[in-house]
Amino acid sequence: MAGKTSGDTSHLYDSKTVRSSAPSRKKLAGSTGIGTEIPKDAIPEIQIPSFVESLLGGPLVPKMKFLPPDKMVQNLQLAVYGILIALAFLTLIVSPGAGTIWYMLTGSIAVATTVQVIVIALATIAGFIGTFRRDGRYLLASNVLFILAILRFASSKVALSFDPFGLADRPFLLSSLVVVYAVFLIMYIEIGNGVLRYSMLDTSIRTNEVYVMNPGKIVGKYHRALVLNPIISILLATLVLSANTILPALVGVLSSNTARRLEESVELTSVYGVALGTLFVFLVTGALFALNLPTHLQRYRESRDA
Amino acid sequence: MWSRKSAMLGSLAVAMYLLGLTLRNSQLVTIAVVIFVILTWAALFGGHADVASSGRRSEEFTGEEGMALGNVSAMRKMSSARLFEDGELSVTLRMQNHSGLAKILEVRDRVPEVMRIKSGSNYILMELGPRRETFIEYTVECPLRGFYSLGPVAVRMQDAFGLFHREKELHVYNDFLVFPKMEDLKETFVKSRVPKIFTGAVNIRQPGPGSEFYSLREYFEGDSFRAINWSAYARSGKLMVNERERDAVSDVIILVDSRSVSETGPVSRNALVYSTRAAASLAKYFLGRRDSVGVIVYGDEVVSVDRDTGKKQLYVILTKLAGAVAKGNTPLQVVVNRILPHINKGSPIIVLSNLEDDPTIVNALRDFRARDFDVTVLSPSSLEFEFDAKRLDRTGYEVMKTERDVLIGELRGLGVNIMDWEPDMLLSTALAGARGF
Repeated sequence: MAGKTSGDTSHLYDSKTVRSSAPSRKKLAGSTGIGTEIPKDAIPEIQIPSFVESLLGGPLVPKMKFLPPDKMVQNLQLAVYGILIALAFLTLIVSPGAGTIWYMLTGSIAVATTVQVIVIALATIAGFIGTFRRDGRYLLASNVLFILAILRFASSKVALSFDPFGLADRPFLLSSLVVVYAVFLIMYIEIGNGVLRYSMLDTSIRTNEVYVMNPGKIVGKYHRALVLNPIISILLATLVLSANTILPALVGVLSSNTARRLEESVELTSVYGVALGTLFVFLVTGALFALNLPTHLQRYRESRDA
Repeated sequence: MWSRKSAMLGSLAVAMYLLGLTLRNSQLVTIAVVIFVILTWAALFGGHADVASSGRRSEEFTGEEGMALGNVSAMRKMSSARLFEDGELSVTLRMQNHSGLAKILEVRDRVPEVMRIKSGSNYILMELGPRRETFIEYTVECPLRGFYSLGPVAVRMQDAFGLFHREKELHVYNDFLVFPKMEDLKETFVKSRVPKIFTGAVNIRQPGPGSEFYSLREYFEGDSFRAINWSAYARSGKLMVNERERDAVSDVIILVDSRSVSETGPVSRNALVYSTRAAASLAKYFLGRRDSVGVIVYGDEVVSVDRDTGKKQLYVILTKLAGAVAKGNTPLQVVVNRILPHINKGSPIIVLSNLEDDPTIVNALRDFRARDFDVTVLSPSSLEFEFDAKRLDRTGYEVMKTERDVLIGELRGLGVNIMDWEPDMLLSTALAGARGF
């Protein structure tokens, strides 16, 4: 048996002579001049994400070809344009050339400021193009450039490149400006992403891939979130960043001297004070999560009468 | 669960926070804090923290876990549990929200991949009000035979920014069966030489009680006066009677090749698809004329439906054909050896096979012919399917076609009624061709 080929089954049938086999696709594939390779179309198409795509959790350029934007997407695009202009202006204010990477590399404040302006301009232009063309690559580039613009060394205290409103002498307003700037940056990222998400959803609806019941309510929820979330973010972030005033006030109940020393402490008014405030607030938040507050909250809301 | 977006924002916030502390940059820390706030808010009021990173299915949750989706249920109703290929199935999915909280849900009812949505949608984004229910209706077209299942129903809920989501699979399943579609046959030209004793609808080329004219013979005492052919009497001056062909039932055996090689070609156009449709059509035709039909499907094993008659038998056969899966490589000789002792000599045997990769075909069919079985082979050509799908080059096609023609010629030499069934040929045409019409 050892010498028999796998196709020879004569031993199974009382030693009957088995004729040469019927046409075998496999055998012929190797002998008809097209080589022994597996035909390309025989292998199913597998899309393996590139390294960058896997980092970002998916393809940067959606495979779906968007249909022309509907009113909702157009409104979001307009919102992004508005936020983008405000963000560019705020970035220009809160990130002076001094302390930037370009300043460290060139040692010239003029060059650093010029490069900084160019980076912000590029970020803005990329943002405009990305939003207009609804292309995730440009939006990502814009986001990265905005973050790059804010990367500064030795800027423990907030410094402004120019101060049209005279905020430098008013620390609370100064830190509020930074909070507003941060909220604008996050909302820019979110609404830019929203343009892509809703374009995708709109295209899916119009190509009958998905059916949306009551779209007004779904869109309304998003609109509410776009208003509510920045307000909550501003309030909570201000609370977190006000550690240098809240802590001395709390300590002041026990000892006014210590409170005064805390108020004058350089560390507490610096970035470490912000870190301390963050630590306290998020310790409290962590404890609430550990106590399963979200579930209790959910249960309360679920059981409430309509 | 964290979405990719929230995971990316979270990572960005951590990186900015640490970098801000390292570079002593309060702007970076501020941005990080804002991101943390947004994430925390979404997690807190989305009620998602309980499932975050647990990696468990919602069904495994007990008590409070997965509560938001625990109050959502689904039921499904189908228009039919059995249908034929290219038939349409209407599905109604009933979604209920038992909680007092309105929910924005993404609902996707899982439909087998080969099905096409004809109308409506199985993917819905909706707001389901408190203690409300809604009906989702859609129609699927079922182009291929088989056993299928609808479900599970995947439900997803996410916050407005898509930062956190929770998913649940509602294990609501509905099984249904798609039978191979059938062609209406007027005539198959397949007749048994050895009829059974019961009278049926088949003329077997023997005189006897029947409906078709067979010959004229002289009148014998006892012949019915109604059988007298008066015209013949007038011509010959002798009393002549019409003899009729005997109608009788016969056993018909249909062999369907479902070896893995039978699926060569595109999913919707291959030998197995054609063979099952042909077997269904033939079974319907033979059962319609009160024959006894048996079907044997051979692939990785030999599955047989014993000979029987009637409408019930048709559905038994259709069910077996619907479940035929291209698998294994059982040679035809094994099937022949197994069934030979059990079938009546002379019964019509119809083999549906692409005749590929089986070195025993000639011997197996010779065994049938040696025992005087009436063998018909319909061979859907996998070569044509492959060539049409541009998976074969011209040279390869010509070489294999020549070998196939040689094999078909050899089988024809054994007295087998064989037809190289090309993709665009109707079954009735192929049958007529096989029988030499």
